[in-house]
Amino acid sequence: MTGSDTPAITCRNVWQVFGNNADSALKEALSNTDTAEDAAAELRGKGLIPAVQNASFDVKEGELFVIMGLSGSGKSTLIRCISHLLHATGGEIRIDGENIVEASPKRLIELRRKKLGMVFQHFGLFPHMTVADNVAYPLRVQGVKKKQRLAKAQEVIELVGLGGRETNYPRELSGGQRQRVGIARSLVADCSVWFLDEPFSALDPLIRRQLQDEFLEIQAKLKTTIVFITHDINEALKLADRIAIMRDGKVVQIGTPADIVLRPVDDYVREFSKDVAKGQHARVASVMQEGEHHVYGADDPGLRQDMTLDAALARCMELYEPVPVRTPEGKLVGVVNPADLAAALQVEQG
Amino acid sequence: MAGLSKGSVAALIAAAAGALCLLLESSVPWLVKFPAAWVLPATDWVGAGLEWFLALIKPTARAFSALMFYPMEAANFVLSSTPWPLIICATTALAWTLGGVRMALMAVVGLGFVLASGYWPESMNTLALVAVSVPLALIIGGGIGILANEYPRIRQPVQAVLDIMQTVPTFAYLTPLLVLFGFGPVVGLIASAIYAAPPMARNVLLGLERVEPEIKEAAIMAGGTRLQQLFQCEIPSAGQQIMVGVNQCLMAALSMVIIAAVIGGFDDIGWEVLLTMRKAQFGQSLLAGSVIVIFAILIDRMSGTLTQDRRDKHDPRVAWGILALGAAVSAAFWSQVQQPGTYALFNPVADSVDAGLSAFTSANAEVLTALKNNVLFYVLLPVRIGLDQAVLPFTWGFAWTPAMSLWLFAAGAAAGAVCAIRGRLALGVMLLIAAGILETGVSQLPWPFVLVGAGALAWVAGGRNLAILTVVLLSTILLSGLWERALLSLYLSGAAVFACAVMGGAVGLASAVSPGIWRVVRPICDMLQTIPLFVFLIPVLMVFQIGEFSAFLAIIAYAIVPMIRYTRHGLVSTPDEMIEAATASGATKWQMLKDIRAPYAAPSILLGLNQTILYAFAMLVIAALIGTTGLGQSIYLALGQADVGLGISAGAAMAILALIADRMVQGFAEERRKALGL
Repeated sequence: MTGSDTPAITCRNVWQVFGNNADSALKEALSNTDTAEDAAAELRGKGLIPAVQNASFDVKEGELFVIMGLSGSGKSTLIRCISHLLHATGGEIRIDGENIVEASPKRLIELRRKKLGMVFQHFGLFPHMTVADNVAYPLRVQGVKKKQRLAKAQEVIELVGLGGRETNYPRELSGGQRQRVGIARSLVADCSVWFLDEPFSALDPLIRRQLQDEFLEIQAKLKTTIVFITHDINEALKLADRIAIMRDGKVVQIGTPADIVLRPVDDYVREFSKDVAKGQHARVASVMQEGEHHVYGADDPGLRQDMTLDAALARCMELYEPVPVRTPEGKLVGVVNPADLAAALQVEQG
Repeated sequence: MAGLSKGSVAALIAAAAGALCLLLESSVPWLVKFPAAWVLPATDWVGAGLEWFLALIKPTARAFSALMFYPMEAANFVLSSTPWPLIICATTALAWTLGGVRMALMAVVGLGFVLASGYWPESMNTLALVAVSVPLALIIGGGIGILANEYPRIRQPVQAVLDIMQTVPTFAYLTPLLVLFGFGPVVGLIASAIYAAPPMARNVLLGLERVEPEIKEAAIMAGGTRLQQLFQCEIPSAGQQIMVGVNQCLMAALSMVIIAAVIGGFDDIGWEVLLTMRKAQFGQSLLAGSVIVIFAILIDRMSGTLTQDRRDKHDPRVAWGILALGAAVSAAFWSQVQQPGTYALFNPVADSVDAGLSAFTSANAEVLTALKNNVLFYVLLPVRIGLDQAVLPFTWGFAWTPAMSLWLFAAGAAAGAVCAIRGRLALGVMLLIAAGILETGVSQLPWPFVLVGAGALAWVAGGRNLAILTVVLLSTILLSGLWERALLSLYLSGAAVFACAVMGGAVGLASAVSPGIWRVVRPICDMLQTIPLFVFLIPVLMVFQIGEFSAFLAIIAYAIVPMIRYTRHGLVSTPDEMIEAATASGATKWQMLKDIRAPYAAPSILLGLNQTILYAFAMLVIAALIGTTGLGQSIYLALGQADVGLGISAGAAMAILALIADRMVQGFAEERRKALGL
């Protein structure tokens, strides 16, 4: 993360409303009501669909920002607002400080050529072009000479591990390979902001994990700013610097992976973290009885408050008495009952 | 009324209207026969208005016509002065490139036949027309499709216009064009361009709409301008669908060029068919018809390969070789290849067909006449004018008495009551109505009953809007004075559609059950769908002469295909999971067909019926050439007299009937689809 004060992406009170006369209806609803909830309710009452409601957040330069939610929660709509595939009905979206909601069509084309890249859930490959032509297409629209653009395309094709398949057509590739083409195409023009709309959702679990790992490697190399959409909490936790959770068009919580697992703001978010292998994310502190005066047994397996539950449980499998929990410096901060550790994992893994 | 279903209510209303009309028949005659005094001279108004309008654009049209004369002459010159070996080899080379050995063989054999038949020059004249009209249609249609895709606001109206253009019968186009462009080959050219453009526009629009949204988004995100997105990504992605459009466009143009011979009267193959048909030289007529069929099949199959997903690559060197061979042969035998029209190898065959035919018809005269008369007297006539007039001592052996009418109604009522008691009220009432229609005859139905009945049916099929549309449109026919002719058309096409539904459904079912049958039926269906409408008339005429029965047969031959196809397709396309679930539940083959496949196929079968109706209406006008009454005849007459008002009004009335039938069946199909969650 380079030191710049302007966030790479800023969203302020972004609304996307579908239906007739959405613009004026939104303005009216916002002036009639005080809260976003009420405005959304009013819009719904008129038969309009507020697909994204009052979304506000910043994405720092070089950050991997994941937007997560179930289908229909508005996450795909939101990423289309930011990439301006949809014109946001209300609010402000800045990319490197420039408000793209008001950008001219010409400027938008320029932005997309120089700055933005996008990967799609179902790949969006052009069926009539070979792998190389698909990847080189963003350069072709800019008028780059054929030889140059194919050379540049070759580089990214190697980067995503598709060397040797340049002359194949998309229909001749497997799902995982197709998405590699999609990724290569989005990278060919050296974008600085990278949008990925559920890029791995249509793939088999094994391929998905493999691509996730490769994706992290590419990200480590390129250090672009990333907005990543997924409906899979495990994927979100694995990849994200920060996660925004959406529900029914609203952003309900924004936080680091640990925040989401340990401090869910409501039952909806808690439901998500139920599916998570909690032992790998929750810490001893979350089940510990705080304070120095608790009674504890003779054994001291050496628990620290920032240990994961899995690690802690491994140390006191055979113990029944409460055990002490200390800071890394050895100071006693509380006790934990091994039975509670086990229970926390059992219940919450549901 | 609360407990009654929509269908029952509609049936009851229609039955009440019918009963009322029957009761009042003697005291209030205007209920049955629409008084002539109420008829508005709409036909004349339309004629006057159109003639004024046509006169306005006539100079432009004539200028365009003069302009089109040059490319046509050029195409004509090229095709008629190129030596035939070169044309055959060029076509074969093209066929090789498109479809390999099989296609190339087809081209050689097909064109060889054309050459041997002696119809080569006429065929080249026809091809010249197609060669000019198709590019015109492709440009117009493609342009319309792209514009409609770019401007969503005009998409709806464009779709609506395309819909209507498809239901307006082909001959109806010709009358105003005749006034605009005068007689001659250019009219045929323009008519075929106009007729062939809509399928292209439709498919371009459909293809562009069906491009995956993510492909469109990918093109946007790559930073393409709108034109780059359209021409580099969207149109190539929609390529296959657009090629379907090209294929349909070619076929439509060919079909129309041949139909236009009716007015064109220039030396092309359509004219040849018409001429020989009029002279009752059926052998020759069949020969000329076969030439048309060969062209239709060649054009269809060759352009059809373009629509295939994955095409095999064929060595271009072979194509060049064939071409070189053609050039060499042409050069070597230059003096001998100048008169391709002189070959007449099949004339003996044609003559023997003629001789054989007269032998056949005279030998089997009794059987054929009996067949024809039986269908006419015992099926068609009663449906047309009702049992009360069709049953005569001369044909049926006894006279119809009012008591018999009462018995018929009583039987209908009894059957209806049985159904009603078993909880199927709608079916019961419809049985009663059917008895009433049979007694009265379709062409003599009281107009209030038709309006109410059609309105009620439309209400069940598509709700209030469709009902209003139906009643309003039918009223315009009533007021324009074309009502009786419209009922005659309705009767003939209705009878044909019914026959198609029963026979086509049965064949479709058989094809679905047994793959062996389908292997036989399928090529026949392909064949029937490729043949231009015109040609259907020849074999029917040969055996049954001019008349309503021949028209009836020709309509069935053409309109039965979609019914067969869709029925089979619906029945065999049941998802495997459903079949497996039924098998796991222990269903027998018949139970599977009855309980699983048939309900699942219902929407598809209804769509087939819909197509069959549209096909029947299209053929109805062509069939007017060999003797039908009704709207088709009016359109044909108008053409002969260049009466724009009558031609357009009758065409519009026909389109209205087709449109209403189309919307109703679509409504039912839509309802079934929704009920199945498809």
